[in-house]
Amino acid sequence: MGEVMHKTAKPLQVNPFKLSQPMGATLAFLGVDRCMPLMHGAQGCTSFTKVYFTRHFCEPIAIQTTAVTDITAILDGGDTSIVEAVKNITAKVTPALVGLCTTGLTETKGDDIRGIAKQVDFPLVYANTPDYEGGLESGWALAAKGLIEQLVAPATACDKQKVVLLPHVSLTPIEVEKIKQFIAAFGYTVYALPDLSTSLDGHLGEKQAALSSGGISVEEITGLADAGLVLSVGDSMLPCAAALQQKNPILRHHHFAHLHGLAASDAFTALLLAESGRSTPPSEIVRWRKRLQDALLDSHFSLGQTRFLLASEPDQLVGLCQALREAGGRISSAISSVDSTQLERVVADEVLVGDLEDAEQRADAIDVLISNFHAEAIAHPRHKGLLLRGFPNWEQVGNVLQNDVLYEGGCYFICTAANVATAQREH
Amino acid sequence: MAKKPKIRELLNESACDHNTTKKSTCSTPTPGATTGGCAFEGAQIALFPYADAAHIVHGPITCIGSSWETRATQTSWSGRDLTQMGFTTGVTTSDVVFGGEEKLAEAIDYVVEHYTPEAVFVYATCVTALIGDDLDLVCQQAAERHDIPCVPVHAPGFVGSKNLGSRLGGEAVLQNLIGTAEPEQTTPYDINLIGDYNVTGDMWQYTPLLQELGIRVLSTLSGDGRVKDIRCAHRAKLNVIVCAKSLISLTRKMQERYDIPHISLSFYGQRDTSAGLLAIAEALGDPDLVTRTKALIAREEAALEEKLQPYRAVFAGKKAVLNTGGNKAWSIASALQDLGIEVVATAVGKSTEDDKEKARQYLGDKGVLMTKPGQEQAKIIDDTRADLLLAGGRSLYTAIKKGIAFADVNQEKKKSYGGYAGLLNLAEDLKNALENPVFKTVARRAPWEK
Repeated sequence: MGEVMHKTAKPLQVNPFKLSQPMGATLAFLGVDRCMPLMHGAQGCTSFTKVYFTRHFCEPIAIQTTAVTDITAILDGGDTSIVEAVKNITAKVTPALVGLCTTGLTETKGDDIRGIAKQVDFPLVYANTPDYEGGLESGWALAAKGLIEQLVAPATACDKQKVVLLPHVSLTPIEVEKIKQFIAAFGYTVYALPDLSTSLDGHLGEKQAALSSGGISVEEITGLADAGLVLSVGDSMLPCAAALQQKNPILRHHHFAHLHGLAASDAFTALLLAESGRSTPPSEIVRWRKRLQDALLDSHFSLGQTRFLLASEPDQLVGLCQALREAGGRISSAISSVDSTQLERVVADEVLVGDLEDAEQRADAIDVLISNFHAEAIAHPRHKGLLLRGFPNWEQVGNVLQNDVLYEGGCYFICTAANVATAQREH
Repeated sequence: MAKKPKIRELLNESACDHNTTKKSTCSTPTPGATTGGCAFEGAQIALFPYADAAHIVHGPITCIGSSWETRATQTSWSGRDLTQMGFTTGVTTSDVVFGGEEKLAEAIDYVVEHYTPEAVFVYATCVTALIGDDLDLVCQQAAERHDIPCVPVHAPGFVGSKNLGSRLGGEAVLQNLIGTAEPEQTTPYDINLIGDYNVTGDMWQYTPLLQELGIRVLSTLSGDGRVKDIRCAHRAKLNVIVCAKSLISLTRKMQERYDIPHISLSFYGQRDTSAGLLAIAEALGDPDLVTRTKALIAREEAALEEKLQPYRAVFAGKKAVLNTGGNKAWSIASALQDLGIEVVATAVGKSTEDDKEKARQYLGDKGVLMTKPGQEQAKIIDDTRADLLLAGGRSLYTAIKKGIAFADVNQEKKKSYGGYAGLLNLAEDLKNALENPVFKTVARRAPWEK
């Protein structure tokens, strides 16, 4: 393992892939059924976010803004604009929930949204998410934590068959679905919070999406505290697990840094075996493990001679690096959008917090880049291999169906990475 | 402070038609019922196409983190295309508390050192405007330090809409760049192209024709633009506004200050392209140029007609419903008509008075101007037996339910539909849409449905 640099020395970001907390919070609220995310800020934050996710998911995105202006920024403490926004939203549609998050503007002026939330006569969950702190992961987690703290009813008993999954923001809708199915195969009923697997999974809906169409329901969130087990994936979700445990002291929690690759899948399976009291997993899981073993062997020749550079959100970065490393992929550099406890775990020659300028400066010395769509401008002119992962991918369709996790997804990921590397060499 | 633009004044643009009918022009956005971008985005749209300049966004990560490399504005600049890069100070909590001016100055130094831009534009955002960072001072000092123009752009998101932001962008250029340099030479046929951002190379569909006529594009704001050219814009004989209402304040002020007349036109579709070329020639006031322009138009129209022939049969008798916004309500309608497609309805909910009037002209008395297209379009498709719906992605389901072809006109398009050649691209895309069975395939009932 190489050096870990937790802070950048530059006075700016050049070609950033870091995203903001309000964007992460919005996405989390979109994982709640019939929710209307409401950003408390100027209209641009909302408009940019809407366009960004619309293009990434190829789906209409429900979101509204409190439309703070220069006048209201000075004269209103948020009381008027938030209350009026909820009134105007509910005049047209009836959301099950309004998901309110703040932005840099309204945090700088110090609006008391907690106090204002109490004045709103409508189901509303709030999260303080200034965009000058944290990033996509922490914004997503803050909204999820808000949902837990403000909606979940305290419990004292628990239902042993019930599992709560807390997935980090970079897990795709299909990955969340696959993890849920994996757990369910051990006999559990599974709830994911947030749950994009039934909202932004790219299904053809009957209606224009005025609200999020799918996701975990408000009633289901309210009843989460009686679960027998909470499984968090990604370090960003640890505060959410802690918040849920506050709701029920006997609720047991297990954490997984990621679910990429054979070793992590084994650890996850081992836990489910132990918890469920089974001696072997269902046969399809056994079969997928064998396929992954075979895929690793088939891929190792290509991956073993390939130098990778990855740029991603930390919870995804740690997993992808581990999966590649299992078949001999050489990670020259791993660049994280923000600082994280995960960085110490990343298997790479060099780990840093940075931007795509940092990636560009290192690109000549590597073979394959794994990053978002912005990395095309680095990879293509240099004839480097490119695998698109993370936000945004405005270039390809089917992002939401991309599965890299557990035994099955691991097969797809490792083979795809090996093929990209081979194609790059033969280019 | 004296350099900061007066927003009230920009909102009451005397050259806008609606100011004679309405008292308040750009009303404040309604909380919970607002769509559309902010002033910063408007400034970004107007100025980012200067690919030889670095565009530094002084604010937290949302502003540029979500929006860089989103617009396919093309450039022929031989250096690195700085339009497609994202530079941001990415202010953090300590900057909010202690001020971000020092960081901004360092960021400018970094960008100048590493990317040697011809100029630097610095954009204020909500947070840095609120904490009161002095962009004017930082820019002035940086300009002296590096001996290149450093232009502060005061269009933080919360001052208003995208449209206002574009005006503020124009204002920044007028105050800081226009008139600060002299061209090597001038001709009686020098024009400025204002408001064409060369998205997907739209501008290049007609600039070769201008060149052939001897009309010189002295500068642009800002498609395929150069900072050194816009500094000389005050020497042009004519300002040509291309499909952009927002920059009319700029051209009016240039008329007052430099006595440059302005005309407004569109290069979408055959008729508008021809009319636009002729309008430029006529405005330049040279009878010989007008004659040559007419000849060129005749030649181009004949050539286009020949290439369109194979499409004529496909489009004959086809009817379209158009659900888009702004000037596209009529400019795309016009292009569709040029292809022989009947436009039975167009959406004018977001259009200006002027746009509505034009839409009425193009569609005739029978055409429907939809003010609530979401509710109206399904019925209109039934009533008119339309074959094609051109709209944003939200309307896709309407098309599938009605079993008609769909073309997404709001999506970031990849091909140019501008000028004569662009009409062929549009024809090809629409032909592909009409011939594609996917809308009927998807509309199939599932085996388990009645």
